[in-house]
Amino acid sequence: MKTKHFYTHLIETTDITLEIAQLNVTSKERVHLLSLVEANIHSAVVSMVLSSLEPHDKKIFLQNLSINEHNKTWLHLRQKAGNIEEEIKKTIDDTISELLKDVRKVKS
Amino acid sequence: MPKKSVHYQKLLKKWTKKHANLQKEIFEKHKDAFDWLENNSKQIAVGSAAGLFLLTNPIIAQIPNEFSTSISNAQTVDKKVFLIYDLKSILPQTVEPLTQTQEKEIAQILERTFNIPVTAELAGKRLNTSYGYIGQEQHLARYPGDNMFNHFEKPEEAEKYWKYGMAPGLGAWRYFADSKNSMTEEENLSEKYYIAVQTFLAPGFELNAKEYVDFFKFRKMLVVNPQNGKAVVAVIGDAGPAKWTGKSLGGSPEVMQYLERADGRQRGPVLYFFVDDPENKTPLGPISYN
Repeated sequence: MKTKHFYTHLIETTDITLEIAQLNVTSKERVHLLSLVEANIHSAVVSMVLSSLEPHDKKIFLQNLSINEHNKTWLHLRQKAGNIEEEIKKTIDDTISELLKDVRKVKS
Repeated sequence: MPKKSVHYQKLLKKWTKKHANLQKEIFEKHKDAFDWLENNSKQIAVGSAAGLFLLTNPIIAQIPNEFSTSISNAQTVDKKVFLIYDLKSILPQTVEPLTQTQEKEIAQILERTFNIPVTAELAGKRLNTSYGYIGQEQHLARYPGDNMFNHFEKPEEAEKYWKYGMAPGLGAWRYFADSKNSMTEEENLSEKYYIAVQTFLAPGFELNAKEYVDFFKFRKMLVVNPQNGKAVVAVIGDAGPAKWTGKSLGGSPEVMQYLERADGRQRGPVLYFFVDDPENKTPLGPISYN
């Protein structure tokens, strides 16, 4: 039973989805913008996690990520980076807040 | 080629740049780890393209083609887009039974979107899955004497649906109505919008088959194509398909056509949840977003 990313359960997209839905854009463009939100979240999470790990553990993390092994990823991260789940959640929330600001800016 | 909206163009530029900068920073800052992965990719069986995609998650340069929703008013809040995106974030990558947590989250989304109470488990009973591949079924005889020559009310219906033919046997619950003269509109719609589900694989079925059959018989379900957001309220009108087919349910010609699902190699998944409708207030057929 795999979700798309190991951190998918930490993402709350309702606010940005609603904000994007109110833009003067087509449905296809909305969906594309949402995929860009997802891509930015992913890069932000990977960046944060890599920065939290020692060189050897970065390799293990990338290896687990590349084979999409969520359980292994979490097991490894919890062993090596302590309470990283909260930090990942914060990174996701910060990224979404930043993107929300962008949306509000183009609307104004 | 339609003109791209200003808001879209601005955000596309900004977010593509943001993402590219972040990726550049990641690869530069953690170069050793990426180099190691690349050099060892054969040993660790990075499913190459897929693995690298997970690492880099490249920006999709063009609008994806699979979202073919037509746009009548771009400023109207589009519930369909919410639905497609919200479901996409919860559904697993492969078509397989959902966890109870996923089912609950999806039920909430469907209720919020369609304003219909739905659930994967009703009165302690559930199907073997609530997410699976749907196959094409044939028309069913609604009453004794119903056949392909008198099945359709309008010529345009016959034109669209004749080709699917009528099942040689009756549905699992036999006829939908006792006779043509006594058939109600609801009974007529029940055949038009029916699904066949694997009642026989429901957990607990073998312990009390009669109770389960009574429960499933003409039970209303909400069936949703998660890839285009189209939804229809249908009844369980038959049992099947067999497990070996790789399909989890079947849809009447009208259900399949509305959901834009096809059988064979083009087959696709649907979500199907019980409609909690004790007073029989939820009408059968396609659901409008308005």
